[in-house]
Amino acid sequence: MPNGADTHCPYCALQCAMTLTPAASAAGAAPAPEAEPAKVDVPLEVSGRDFPTNRGGLCRKGWTSASLLRHNGRVTEPMLKGSDGVHQPISWDQALMLITTAVKDIQQQYGNDAVGVFGGGGLTNEKAYLLGKFARLALRTSRIDYNGRFCMSSAAAAGNRAFGVDRGLPFPVTDLDTASVILMLGSNVAETMPPFVQHLQGARDAGGLIVVDPRRSATAAFTGDGGGLHLQPTPGTDLALLLGISHVVVHEGLVDADYIEANTSGYAAVVRSLSAFWPERVQSITGVPATLIRETARRLAQGARDGGSYILSGRGVEQHVDGTDTATAAINLSLLLGLPGSARSGYGTLTGQGNGQGGREHGQKADQLPGYRKITDPAARAHVAGVWGIDESLIPGPGLPAVELLKSLGKPDGVRCLFVHGANVVVSAPDTNAVIQGLRSLDFLVVCDFFMSETATEADLVLPVTQWAEEEGTLTNLEGRVIRRRRALTPPPGVRSELWLMARLAELLDAPSTFSDDPETVFEELRLASAGGLADYSGIDYAMLDRGEAAYWPYPVGSTGTPRLFTEGFAHADGRAVMVPVTPSKRAVRSFADDSLALATGRLLEHYQSGAQTRRVSELLASQPQARLLIHPGTAASRGIADGDYATVTNERGEVLCRAELSNSVRPDTVFLPFHFPGQENANRLTEAATDPISGMPEFKTSRVWARKAVSTQEPASYTVPAGTRLPLHVKEAS
Amino acid sequence: MSERIVVVGFGPVAARLVEELLPAVRTGLVQLLVVGQEAEAAYNRVMVAELGVGRTTAEALAMADASELEAEGVEVRLGVKVKRIDRARQNIVLSDDSTEHYDRLVFATGSRPVIPNLTGLNPDPSRPVLPAGVTALRDLRDAAVLRSAVAEGKRVVVLGGGVLGLETALAASEEGAQATVVHNGPFPLGRSIDRGSGSVLINSLRAGGVRMAGNARSTGVETSGPGGSFSALLLDDGSAIDGDLLVLSCGVRPRIELAEGCGLPVATGILVDHHLRTYHEPHMFAIGDCAEVRCPDAACVDCRTAAGPPGLVGPGWRQAEWLAEYLAVLARDGQAAADALEALPKEKPGVVVLKARGINLAVAGDNQADPWDEELLEAGAASGRARRQISQWADPEHGRYVKMTTRGGVLEGLVAVGMPRTAAELVVLFERSSELPADRSLLLRLDGPDQLDAGATSNDPQRTVCRCAGVSAASIEDSVADGCSTVGEVSKATRAGTGCGGCHEDIKGIIEKHFQAAAA
Repeated sequence: MPNGADTHCPYCALQCAMTLTPAASAAGAAPAPEAEPAKVDVPLEVSGRDFPTNRGGLCRKGWTSASLLRHNGRVTEPMLKGSDGVHQPISWDQALMLITTAVKDIQQQYGNDAVGVFGGGGLTNEKAYLLGKFARLALRTSRIDYNGRFCMSSAAAAGNRAFGVDRGLPFPVTDLDTASVILMLGSNVAETMPPFVQHLQGARDAGGLIVVDPRRSATAAFTGDGGGLHLQPTPGTDLALLLGISHVVVHEGLVDADYIEANTSGYAAVVRSLSAFWPERVQSITGVPATLIRETARRLAQGARDGGSYILSGRGVEQHVDGTDTATAAINLSLLLGLPGSARSGYGTLTGQGNGQGGREHGQKADQLPGYRKITDPAARAHVAGVWGIDESLIPGPGLPAVELLKSLGKPDGVRCLFVHGANVVVSAPDTNAVIQGLRSLDFLVVCDFFMSETATEADLVLPVTQWAEEEGTLTNLEGRVIRRRRALTPPPGVRSELWLMARLAELLDAPSTFSDDPETVFEELRLASAGGLADYSGIDYAMLDRGEAAYWPYPVGSTGTPRLFTEGFAHADGRAVMVPVTPSKRAVRSFADDSLALATGRLLEHYQSGAQTRRVSELLASQPQARLLIHPGTAASRGIADGDYATVTNERGEVLCRAELSNSVRPDTVFLPFHFPGQENANRLTEAATDPISGMPEFKTSRVWARKAVSTQEPASYTVPAGTRLPLHVKEAS
Repeated sequence: MSERIVVVGFGPVAARLVEELLPAVRTGLVQLLVVGQEAEAAYNRVMVAELGVGRTTAEALAMADASELEAEGVEVRLGVKVKRIDRARQNIVLSDDSTEHYDRLVFATGSRPVIPNLTGLNPDPSRPVLPAGVTALRDLRDAAVLRSAVAEGKRVVVLGGGVLGLETALAASEEGAQATVVHNGPFPLGRSIDRGSGSVLINSLRAGGVRMAGNARSTGVETSGPGGSFSALLLDDGSAIDGDLLVLSCGVRPRIELAEGCGLPVATGILVDHHLRTYHEPHMFAIGDCAEVRCPDAACVDCRTAAGPPGLVGPGWRQAEWLAEYLAVLARDGQAAADALEALPKEKPGVVVLKARGINLAVAGDNQADPWDEELLEAGAASGRARRQISQWADPEHGRYVKMTTRGGVLEGLVAVGMPRTAAELVVLFERSSELPADRSLLLRLDGPDQLDAGATSNDPQRTVCRCAGVSAASIEDSVADGCSTVGEVSKATRAGTGCGGCHEDIKGIIEKHFQAAAA
């Protein structure tokens, strides 16, 4: 097989197109010896490829992605933890036997739901689909959920409630190019998906980029120099802010009345719920001046009449205990203005993980079957049972959403054996100290990864799996467009695909139905399983994707797909969007009396998710080697913290120790930590496992913390640099 | 057993109570009857002036819908008054002579405007019959009167320098009327602001087209307009202020006569304890403008300094939310469980943010002390309690003024004029009792132009030009020195400009600079 392929980036949901070609010097070469630390063995060369989403652009995460393929720290054999706590290689046969025995023993003793699965939004559609099937039919458990619960669940729940369907962007991303106004709600694309920024240029040129973020993020800074407006609400008050903007729309007669009449239900109740949120009152809640609230409403309305207005939401407003209601408030605002489904305007949410869209459609969720079907819907169960060739009664009922699933680890009636696929919960889940305790109380933990991630380190058994450039499959990008991932390189000998693993285990566990390890065969089955569902892929096949056709779901057989949703109405039975009145919950309005601060967690350009991958890329690590606490100079001064000092950030759940960076970009009542780092720098030690009652989304953005200058004058060591990472000299010396 | 709750009054606070009780109504836990005197269900009274100047619609002010509530199982009686309450039988008697039983009764009767004692006005507070061209701007009909005056660009005289009076005058002026505010004292808003902010505020109002008549004592109204309508407000110095419409904005008084009539203890408002219960009457509660939280316990510290009803809607809504939970628990789990609920937290002094387009004003707490006013600063600084401190910024030429009164770094009072971001931040800090930064000037700079992207183009060679690929200016300069002469070549050599492309101009600049230097 020739090495090299047209594929997409392994990281975020923008899924930038890239071409991988064999590196002239390194193709097929053995890993470089330790004696030559400067020479990094990169078997493939990455180049940007022209595609509507990225137009040839890549960020430095994408540019450096190939350096992980032959990284020295790569796990290339199944690794079993010995009684001494050290992982030792074993054969695949041994590994499969161990798993089979563990699953059977535990289920016999504690019941089927004592085995659980934790999936990831980075898995291909094929893997995500098969993982759901594997859990229900081979493991016979209801206990499956995934890290997308920490990511897209609130926006998804709000989208389903309002529109009857959840596709992150219901329009191609290039539609944004001509917009006059774009309202970005808690989304920092300049760091999280830099090539996306191209699509904001039109709005910036028109002075219409409006960014809501408590921090003057890189994206918020684009609003300077006439680019638009930056609204800096105090954390936890986004919902009130959106109600304030909507209030102005209603009271200043900016509502698109014809649109409301023709396309929505629930308008009057929403108007009544907005009455109490006049701009000056909202100013008192949010800290955003009333003038800016009015200005935002007017610009959105004007934009809808000019080149178009878009409202885009991100994790900043969604990762809250009232995240679903906040996303609903954003949707209500967009409906009042008549944006969704109109030719030049719209509402969308920016999906985060690489396959955060496809990964939330095909059965990885506790309450879901393929095609975005509900597992409680008898018709859906019957359909999927038919495709799987099994009796419907074999499909378990709904399981537990991610946070509850993790809370149940090792508990009576909880999960005692867990499979983790494409997730690093020790770093990325809320309240990680509790998560680690849960993992350590398990009888058996299996982690599939390509590195000894912090979660893999906890595992009894680590299984080496393929990386993106070593596998075939499909992903669904943030626009709902299905794209092809292609193999450019043969994986190392001991590495297997998760499809293979699930197929083998299914056989050993005497699972009904069939489990193929061939991606295209699995996709063919996914097509059938999704047919007639909300996320219908039945008209899509590998051949058309390989011809370069743009395939947006729903794509029923015989159709040409759906680049733009809602042009003919919404997905509810009556074709109308449902407007649901929402109001800030008492729980969401938090007191920060005394000297506590609101902790918001977020991302850096150089790192992706838990950093399990990007912290192993020397260039990225050199640029951002450690977590830094962003703190306002005034807030720092009153705590005796100087720029570069080590600071402790504490609350009742844990403590983080890291360097402080003084910056005017955060509000004085807020501190910011990136969540990409493990150990003592792990921001999620401080976050709370409280969740949104509708979506199960945890609260990531308003944890109450106290910041102090670190007592010890001795600089604590940063976390241990992952084995096999070759650091540039200056970083080695610094750490 | 299902409890029957009767809510007397259907204003914004009652609407919130009803809404919060809906889940209990749906499950049959409580039966709910709400009685409203006006023909309309609750609407946002706070915005009646906005309606009066044509900035919103009556539809948008609505806060409840009678037919939808009825569909949910709530009984709604509109356009009827409660005449009296028979506590012995737990009945209310309505103006149509029907009677209704209650297990629990909630007074949400609100307040009524104060009608000043002026010749030409009927002084009877319960049945004011105002001459044509005089309005207290309280309900939708009053708003319609103002609306037509504003639409015709008439002269509107506002009597009273309170928040609502200023808001009305400014909005009317901005929308085309000629507005005059008549107030006593040297500046409006009385003792809630200080002289500095008062002076700046007056100038700002004047700049907004409002005529300000201060230190004025009005004595009567002249009604020699068409059909005996208002023509002028008469002052005690013998002068008169001519106008076509007089808006009375002289404050409100709680509507307590119904409670008083059935023997409940009242002061300014209906007296209630920290559970919003009327004194010695377990079946009755009061919330909103008509309620005065002051418990019977003489030793209660919170109540020692309690003032009358705050007259703001925010505290009323919090009371409504709290009482809804209390009543639901009471109906479900009984008295002991309900009383075990945490009492309603004490309200902080109210924050006022002027609802206005042209002027930004926020005020809260006590603002009387000046930086060198030892007596006021030391007041209350006994037994280890810190003394008050004042930070102040005055720039009358540009209409800006801020005063922060703190104790132990926490705001006890604030007033900010003409500085929207500072005002917004201070209000949040006040509401949360958060400590201010030691350097108070940080808060004053929020409205400064330097807050936005200072020094975006520095000459530091280590500055990052391309954020997406993480390329410094020095690396780009090196690549240019090595022969790259176009953005494309630089991108190829360094990856700069290969992400979002936003730095292409910057790269071009570096290339041009290099070759200019070479040519020179």
